Amino acid sequence: MFLSEGKKHLVCLAAALCLALFSGPALALDVQALIREIEQQYMGVSSQANTIMQVRTANWERTLEMEAWSLGRDYFLVRILEPAKERGVATLKRNREVWNYLPKVDRVIKVPPSMMGGSWMGSHITNDDLVKANHIDEEYRLRLLEESGTHYVVECLPKPDAAVVWGKIIYRVRKQPQVPEQVDYYDEEMVRVREIHFDDVQQIGDRIVPLRLTVLPLEKPGETTILHYRELVYDLPLEESFFSLRNLKQP
Amino acid sequence: MLLTLAFRNLWRNQRRTLLTLSAMVVSAALLILALGVFSGMFKDMLASATEQYYGHLVLAEPAYHLRRDLFSSLPAKLADLPALKEAPEITGRSPRLRSFGLLSRRDTSQPVELLGMIPELEQQVTSLQHELTAGRYPAAEDRNAALIGHSLARKLKVQPGDELVFVTQAADGSIGNDLLVVSGIFATGDSRHDNNLVLAPLPWLQQVLVLPGRIHEVAMLVNDPMNAAQVANRLNPLLPDNLKILDWGILLPEMREVIAAYDVSRMIIVTILYLATGLGILNTFFMSVMERTREFGILMAQGMRPWAIRGLVLLETLLLGCIALTIGLLCGALMTLYMQEIGIDLAEYITPVTYAGGTILPRLHAVFEPGNFAVPAGMLLLVSLFAGFLPANRAARLDPVAAVRED
Repeated sequence: MFLSEGKKHLVCLAAALCLALFSGPALALDVQALIREIEQQYMGVSSQANTIMQVRTANWERTLEMEAWSLGRDYFLVRILEPAKERGVATLKRNREVWNYLPKVDRVIKVPPSMMGGSWMGSHITNDDLVKANHIDEEYRLRLLEESGTHYVVECLPKPDAAVVWGKIIYRVRKQPQVPEQVDYYDEEMVRVREIHFDDVQQIGDRIVPLRLTVLPLEKPGETTILHYRELVYDLPLEESFFSLRNLKQP
Repeated sequence: MLLTLAFRNLWRNQRRTLLTLSAMVVSAALLILALGVFSGMFKDMLASATEQYYGHLVLAEPAYHLRRDLFSSLPAKLADLPALKEAPEITGRSPRLRSFGLLSRRDTSQPVELLGMIPELEQQVTSLQHELTAGRYPAAEDRNAALIGHSLARKLKVQPGDELVFVTQAADGSIGNDLLVVSGIFATGDSRHDNNLVLAPLPWLQQVLVLPGRIHEVAMLVNDPMNAAQVANRLNPLLPDNLKILDWGILLPEMREVIAAYDVSRMIIVTILYLATGLGILNTFFMSVMERTREFGILMAQGMRPWAIRGLVLLETLLLGCIALTIGLLCGALMTLYMQEIGIDLAEYITPVTYAGGTILPRLHAVFEPGNFAVPAGMLLLVSLFAGFLPANRAARLDPVAAVRED
């Protein structure tokens, strides 16, 4: 009885192996899942993070310390802790809408569609990045461009009717551990306008993620935004109600 | 002698002369009026562009007007530069700081252009204080009073006294934000300004942008806008290298084109109108010369030289031209005066049209401009002489023997 049970397993395993061998392409990389995972690597089901954002432009440099929470791909709240002058400035994203809270005037301001391309908190990240980045797998057609022993290169072209900002996105992803190394963004004229580099790969719980990302706007040489995760906790018990306009204003 | 003769000849056929004369008078007078109204329209357009926003001259970094770069800022004391203070043509100087950002009230936000200014100085340069539809112009002591366009006020659903939040990126990278209180609402008819423009106190904006003591430009008014380019050219060598005064012709190249095109079209209209008038005069004098063939023959037989005959006919046309000119100029001036003082309001029928950076207001309104009198007057005399030349030549070349026999 035990033996036959074991044999059965063996047969199953063999069958599975054959299947895997013969239908190789079908079981190969699920590009969509790969990109979705990358775009949500800092989110999980839910997450809490403490980050340092360093922004350098031709005219000024500044460092912000921020605390951020997320739930799924639709809810996101971030609040500035430092510098003191901007403490309490917060951004809330619910689905595709973005609000900012300004403690100095005690007002919540919804970012209008015309300003979605504008800079977020003075960085080289736009409001659109917050809203659209984690929908890349839905709004772009993904294609494995290249596969080497160590890396995947995935090309994303916008679907015909998608309202997107980029003309093309190229992801370069390491296989082991599976983490992104670089993402290149092209405008509608297929000119590369922005690069994001990832490094400082760390194990957080059962995930391996790069804790530092560097945004390089190529049309402004010398300018950078560096986002460094100092603490990252996944799968906290966060409710939808946490991401409310009322909570946006809490200090 | 010739002059008396010419004058008498004119009135020998009174009806014909009066008809020709009235045609000349009416064409000259109407032309002067039409040109005056045209000039009025262009003056409105230029004023809407310069006196509602730019000023006639703008002192700033050379590329500031192209990029509106937040970081192209200058010390505020530049407004009191001796070269500017002492220039007799400059009648107003307003230091300004400019910011682009988001103005919001409750759930509504609008992108705006915010000009930080000093109320009493800004009113020397722009005339928004005359375009108020509600509230009042910000006063010197107001800390955060805002003057906003009426379309913007409607979109944000605000009245004087309501609070607004302005958000932008400050010069240190931080998020500049503060409250404004609407003090007044203006309506210029220029949709871009009515939709977009906000005026607020300079110190308030300096603090929001973290640019203490800085400005982006000094807007200036000169006594004659058509002379602005010369004033700029004279002052520019006296300025530090990193600064430049630009006149409205550079800031609003389309407007300069429009005015150049106007000068050409004025000549075309004058030419067409006077071609018709000229044919009328030609006709009159040909008739009059033909009728007097016998008379000219007798005059020549009595020893009058051909040049005197020619001179006589030319003098007649010139005389007619001068009379027409005097009456025509007078009538034209009177009509222009009426249109200048009273004008015709078309607001019921048409809305303001914005074109080439300026706004054409819905009114017919004339202004006096020397060219509008000189060009029609000069042309009228020229046409009279020209139209008189052919008949005069014909009269002078008559063979006295044949002419005397003519009936």
